[in-house]
Amino acid sequence: MTVTKTVTWLLAGAALTLSASAAMAQQTNLRVFVSSQHRPDVWRKAFDMYEAQNPNVKVTIETGGNTSEAQAQYLNTIMTAKDSSLDVMILDVIRPAQYAAAGWTVPFNEVIQGDAQAYMKRYLPAYAEANTVDGKVVALPAFADAMFLYYRKDLLEKHGIQPPQTWEELTAASKKIMEAEKDPNLQGLSFQGKAIEGAVCTFLLPYWSMGKQLVSDGKLSFDKDAAVKSLTLWKDFVDQGVAKKNIAEVATDDTRKEFQAGNVVFAVNWSYAWGQFQGPESAVKDKVGVVKLPAVKGGEPASCLGGWEWGVSAYSTNKTEAQKFVQYLSSPETSEFMAVNAALLPAFPEKYTDPDVTKAVPWFAEAKPVVETAKARPVTPRYNEVSEIIRTTVNAVLAGTTTPEQGATQMESRLRRVLR
Amino acid sequence: MATASETGIITAHREGATKWWTRFLDPSERTLAALLLAPTALLLSLIIVYPVCRLVWTSFQNLSLTSGLPAEFAGLENYRLMIDDPVFWETTWNTVLITLITVPGALLVGLGLALMANMPFRLKWPVRLSLLIPWALPLSFAGLIFAWFFHSEYGVVNDVLRRVGIEGIIWFNSANWAFAAICLTIIWKTSSFMALIILAGLQTIPRSLYEAAEVDGAGRFRQFFEITLPLLKPAIVVALIFRTITALQTFDIPFTMTRGGPGTSTATLAMYIHQNTVDFLDLGYGSALAVVMFLLSMCVTFVYLRMIRAKG
Repeated sequence: MTVTKTVTWLLAGAALTLSASAAMAQQTNLRVFVSSQHRPDVWRKAFDMYEAQNPNVKVTIETGGNTSEAQAQYLNTIMTAKDSSLDVMILDVIRPAQYAAAGWTVPFNEVIQGDAQAYMKRYLPAYAEANTVDGKVVALPAFADAMFLYYRKDLLEKHGIQPPQTWEELTAASKKIMEAEKDPNLQGLSFQGKAIEGAVCTFLLPYWSMGKQLVSDGKLSFDKDAAVKSLTLWKDFVDQGVAKKNIAEVATDDTRKEFQAGNVVFAVNWSYAWGQFQGPESAVKDKVGVVKLPAVKGGEPASCLGGWEWGVSAYSTNKTEAQKFVQYLSSPETSEFMAVNAALLPAFPEKYTDPDVTKAVPWFAEAKPVVETAKARPVTPRYNEVSEIIRTTVNAVLAGTTTPEQGATQMESRLRRVLR
Repeated sequence: MATASETGIITAHREGATKWWTRFLDPSERTLAALLLAPTALLLSLIIVYPVCRLVWTSFQNLSLTSGLPAEFAGLENYRLMIDDPVFWETTWNTVLITLITVPGALLVGLGLALMANMPFRLKWPVRLSLLIPWALPLSFAGLIFAWFFHSEYGVVNDVLRRVGIEGIIWFNSANWAFAAICLTIIWKTSSFMALIILAGLQTIPRSLYEAAEVDGAGRFRQFFEITLPLLKPAIVVALIFRTITALQTFDIPFTMTRGGPGTSTATLAMYIHQNTVDFLDLGYGSALAVVMFLLSMCVTFVYLRMIRAKG
């Protein structure tokens, strides 16, 4: 009798354990890497909404590093170690092609129902292109981005100045305002001079504005004169006192912080900065204007194409669930949610004129043509080397350790080694 | 014909040789020796010999993870690329310069610290503890702490300079000042290690020597140069070997302080290796650079070992 009872209890216990572990098996844990500068707090809310719709999925957020390269260094380490701890990661627009070449991401072609090319048509063309390699969809857009010129609306109005169309006008406007304001802490212009990814765009903005390309048909098409002019333009801002002396120490988020503290008249930055300028900690709330970047004299205005993409790790143990989750993150709904709550530009063209979006971020309606005409940094598997050459040269010229001429010469010979 | 004495020497020599050989050939002892050595040999080959061989092999290959191509044998191609790579030469020169500045610098400061710590204090432990702190601090922490010290706007160094009426320096905006800041940090960080070894050496010098010197009328300076310094030589050479090898591998402090900037003016060879392997994923070229650094370290060690042998 007692023996039977014990056996029954044991069996019942075993059954319970088994069913519990079956339930556990259904529960999927996804670990997602988000760049710390792109509002992980707001992404968390988007993840929460997914968890509410899919009770069997639990999303953990991981974040680290405050620049694109610091994050790439971390992810490169995880990927070379074939570490399965990360399922989904956010990648700077320049990286999906590299990650696909290294075999670190899984293509989405199988989970996308139907024709992949047709599916990608819903995004802005630049992002459909950046995420497709040889017909394979290697990542899906998280948000679009481009560089803009932020300016202090209040100060420009006070001194009767229109937003500048050329860099020369910007210099003149800065000098006028700085002289009149007599504030020793006020800088005319803040941009990225530290040897970070943003400094690549710093170099390319005037270079592109002169109508020159860095790479054409996979071959280096370096124009040395344009490179010298571009480097000289930035160095002159420092020498004329428009930009601060230690601009070579300034990274993207430093520009954002200094502008937000009210110490900058003009700033070159990405769209994410807007949300923080309008936030409760901002000294410049409601005093900020955004326009397209100035051009060089006689040139066309040019912006640098940014944006970040969601990739699924090839070493993830939950690839299917992770891909489903990324499809949600890259949907028009999430895109709208992030535009309204975090001022991240949508990768969907129709969202720029969506009334809910324009109510929260009025300037997005004018941002669309800027994003559409923004130029992409060269696409090559050896992009990291190209980037390193450009950003260290920009940094050295701004610090005054190299002249613009020497810098352009070094840049050319080093680029030739990489892009033969 | 050999003379009797000569034969004697030869026999004695042969006997000695026989003894030595028998000891080696004695099966039981040989087995025991092999058994005792095996774990170490195995461990060493696993963690040193295999990786080094693998490294050398990779350095002869075209192996870049971003190319999507499989590894292929490239002979000396990676080494040839190094010759006209300006960044390789610049980083190597920076590494040599850091070694030439910080090793003697740390030796001088370390010697001073050790002499002070060896003075007859009543409370010796607080002095020795404070001597240990920089040594116990992780390198990257030291780099980050000093990066803040030297920060142009918020740093304590410029604050002190301004208080005494000197215009602050934008340390990391100039190749020379950034280099100076890095060298100062490295000297601060490593001189306590030098001091520890030298302090140990100081304590082996018998007091009686100083007493005798005093009786003979030698002054303090004379005592230092005639007794302390010569007897400290072995300790100093050991400290120098360790310090030079770690100086050739300098990575953490410049990486955390300047990331090699402005431009590449404070980047070291170790940082360039890290950049090629971790950032550029060019394992072939990175390995070739690492082989060069390995050879550089080997050369220095060899020179020091020769010095010790010559002294011994």
